[in-house]
Amino acid sequence: MADLAILGQHLLNGLLIGCAYALIAIGLTMIFGVMNIANFAHGEFYMIGGFATFYLVSLLKVNYFLALPLAVVIVVVLAIIIQQVIFKRLRDAPVMTTTLVTIGLSLLLEHLAHLLWGPQPQTIPNPFPTAPMSFAGIYTTPLYLFAMAITAALIVVGHVLIQRTRMGKAMRATFQNKEAAALVGIRIDSIYLYAFGFGAALAAAAGAVLGGFIPVEPTMGGVATLKAFVVVILGGMGSFVGAIVGGLLLGLAEGLGAGYMSSGWKDAIGFVAVILLLLFRPDGLFKRG
Amino acid sequence: MADIKPKPRHPLAPAATALVLLALFALPQFVRNEYLLHLCIVSAIFVIIALGLNLIVGYVGQLSLAHAAFFALGAYVSALLFIKFKWSMWIGLPAAALITGIIAFALGWVILRVRGHRFVIITVAFAEIMKLVATNWIDVTRGFMGLPGLTIPALYIPGLGAIDLSSKERFYYVALTAAILTFWLCAKLVGSSIGRAFVLVRENEVLAESLGISAFRYCMIAFVAGAAMAGAAGSLYGHYVGFVSPDLFNFSYVTIMLIMVILGGKGTLIGPVLGAVIFTFLPELLREASHYRMVLFAAILILATMFMPRGIIFPLVEHLAPLLPRAWRKKP
Amino acid sequence: MKIKFFATAVALALATFAGTAAAQETVKIGLVQPLTGPVAYDGNGYANTVKMLVEDVNAKGGVLGKKIELVVEDGACNPAQSVNAAEKLVTRDKVVALIGAFCSTSTAAMMEVARKHKVPHITAVSTAAQLTEQNNPYFFRAVATTPMLGEAFGGELPAAIKGKRFAFLVINDDWGRSMVASYPKNLEKAGGTVVATEFFQSSELQFLSLITKIKSSNPDAIVLAANSQHAAALSKQIRELGITVPLIGEGSWTSDSYFKLAGPAAEGVYGLVEYVYTIKNPINEAFVKMSRDKLKENPSKFSGAAHTAFNVMVDAIRRAGAADPEKIRAALTQTNYNGAVGNIRFNEKNQAYGQDVYLAIIKGTVPEVVKVAKISKP
Repeated sequence: MADLAILGQHLLNGLLIGCAYALIAIGLTMIFGVMNIANFAHGEFYMIGGFATFYLVSLLKVNYFLALPLAVVIVVVLAIIIQQVIFKRLRDAPVMTTTLVTIGLSLLLEHLAHLLWGPQPQTIPNPFPTAPMSFAGIYTTPLYLFAMAITAALIVVGHVLIQRTRMGKAMRATFQNKEAAALVGIRIDSIYLYAFGFGAALAAAAGAVLGGFIPVEPTMGGVATLKAFVVVILGGMGSFVGAIVGGLLLGLAEGLGAGYMSSGWKDAIGFVAVILLLLFRPDGLFKRG
Repeated sequence: MADIKPKPRHPLAPAATALVLLALFALPQFVRNEYLLHLCIVSAIFVIIALGLNLIVGYVGQLSLAHAAFFALGAYVSALLFIKFKWSMWIGLPAAALITGIIAFALGWVILRVRGHRFVIITVAFAEIMKLVATNWIDVTRGFMGLPGLTIPALYIPGLGAIDLSSKERFYYVALTAAILTFWLCAKLVGSSIGRAFVLVRENEVLAESLGISAFRYCMIAFVAGAAMAGAAGSLYGHYVGFVSPDLFNFSYVTIMLIMVILGGKGTLIGPVLGAVIFTFLPELLREASHYRMVLFAAILILATMFMPRGIIFPLVEHLAPLLPRAWRKKP
Repeated sequence: MKIKFFATAVALALATFAGTAAAQETVKIGLVQPLTGPVAYDGNGYANTVKMLVEDVNAKGGVLGKKIELVVEDGACNPAQSVNAAEKLVTRDKVVALIGAFCSTSTAAMMEVARKHKVPHITAVSTAAQLTEQNNPYFFRAVATTPMLGEAFGGELPAAIKGKRFAFLVINDDWGRSMVASYPKNLEKAGGTVVATEFFQSSELQFLSLITKIKSSNPDAIVLAANSQHAAALSKQIRELGITVPLIGEGSWTSDSYFKLAGPAAEGVYGLVEYVYTIKNPINEAFVKMSRDKLKENPSKFSGAAHTAFNVMVDAIRRAGAADPEKIRAALTQTNYNGAVGNIRFNEKNQAYGQDVYLAIIKGTVPEVVKVAKISKP
């Protein structure tokens, strides 16, 4: 019976991390699909979301539940600035140009974070009790559950935004056929702005909720970006549903892999899957949509 | 569009080249400071890396983020041959170049069929997998504990005996020779029909294919050649520093390599050379905490990519150095 | 205009000359520490302590009648970078002594630079056993090794935690592996058994799967090798996953930084440490007071290490009578120094012995010393 509890624990751990992966990946895949940009700086939005929350709560004494959305807003403002100043000019630039620019941006933000906030990892103070809760031998804490709930909720909200709102429809149209969308009067620049801001917002939200138990530090963006790319490739570049399923799958695979095989190799699972998939099923597990 | 006919060489070219070579070989006589010599050696090693990356990024136009992985692979191959079989760098270096080339061939065979974003991401995935192997295959690579104790070999010349090369002045000559050899190889490659094919593939793949020039084939040539050069450089670096560890796979190495090639002037021969030298010396001259300097470099990288597609260094030099052989300055 | 130009040039030349002239009047010591990277917090703490001590020594007249000039470079706990930093210090700054590089693997790489350039190199942080097995006469280790700590306290652990089953959760580098290679035999002699061994990567801050794996082995205690940020994340996540057994750690488990980061998860944790600020002797008490006044904090384990390494080196420079690397090296071998952790001497492999080590338990964010052991000559 204890073995089942352990399995359950691994699955729950995997689900928690998987939700985070999914949330970050959705933003990345949207930016990919709509703007055709491989955003190597995506993880930095996650990192800044975490730091913003930390400083709002610990320095400015903002209520934790208020700080979360506030941090997201801050990151979105940053994303808007970046979009207007940089990516607007690169609208039809080749892959190498945009990729190099995002790599540069990633570096810039990471080292700026180091200068502003120092290297020390910070855990975001939160009002949740730290005592673990358990059911059937599987343990979790209120914070973990909260994090999962928020990420799930945001995924649903995102889905509704994409499917039901005019902006969402316009994004999907641009994504399917940019020229045609422009022809019917969709303002491509606005779409780009929304896609970029939306993507950044989701990544920032992930950083904000996870920062309560995974310490926030300036170099964490790099790993987050890599994981997000793995998920996006697995799920299909541009596929919202793919990002969700891919994220959860990766989280679970890594959790089980680390739990039952070797933890050192768990990161390889994603990368090997990427190479195999890109060769045999270039469109990912799901079609674009 | 690409130049198809080779241009005639400037009459002063051989003299200028000779002068430059002379200055380079005479350098240790004037530069006695060990620290500066150290920087010169590291520059020479990065010249080799940058020239190789330039073939892939500058000439056929593919953004490969696996280059640091090839560099690190070469370092590991050479280090392992030294530690397990006591084979000196004289064997380790060509072995590193060969094995890295073979791995690049296998990888390229599989991944050069996709282009654009997918290619970039696969190169990243490959690099990360290599890093994980280096980190976790403790039995062979000792993971983060690394492979220490690598030494610079002596040079055996019949009649003269063994010449110790471990001092900085002496090793400088080894690195310099390797860099010059690499430059010469690249110049020959780029000046040949293969080089012209590279450029055509980069500028207009469809046209190239219609002329019977296989983009895949030429991308492969550039990829494998570039990787082999990185592998050789890795061997030099490993033996020089004396220690090889998984940190060599870090993304930060790829970034600095890209900066050297892109800001130096991709698609030219002198560009990466200048980029390598300048971006080895510049960080060291800025003694301040590395973060200020990285923020600056990142900003320069972004601006240069957006507004200066020919790089910064090379066009600047171009205006100032009309004596360089025209073949070296051939514009894409 | 020309006069202005020449005046400036002359002024600059004088300034440079004065600068270099002044430089010749100092004793230069080089420090390599991780100022960036995963252990940057502790590395910066170490560096700040050394700076504070340098100021103090200089205020009291310096050493050999000259001021100490400390040159600090970032090793980032990365072997290649540490080597580069050490090379810079030796060839560019011409330091007469080296301190560093914190992480055992980086120190291992750095000591080759010391050997090549014949400059004495001391560490009081790196505890991996093989560092003093490299036949390097220029390298000195002023701290007990991990196996020594294991020998000193390993046998006490089953009694301390009232259990027999031990799980190891250590960082995947020389230090962690040194612990896993040496502690078990001491545990087993006292009736303990090892039920699980897991390694974590330095770049990782999320350990849920690893911890769950450890949990499934049902240990009575978990033994860890980790520093501040890893230690904090580990302790919190271990408690969050419902594991209540005692934690025993080598590393920074008795430092204020750990308490701040770990919060309530720090309560009841055992630390196997070479220094703790609650040590009662006059030298330590003076040091703690200085640290509280100038740095506004209690010295962490690493500050304590900085104190030891720096003072042993300065003591050697004094006895050497000259700022000459070879003389300093020779003087170091004759060290008989009394400091915050007791008496320190070096054996023929330049390994320190004679000092105290401590088993401490955290009660209400104060590390209370439970047991003291003296390191015997290896």
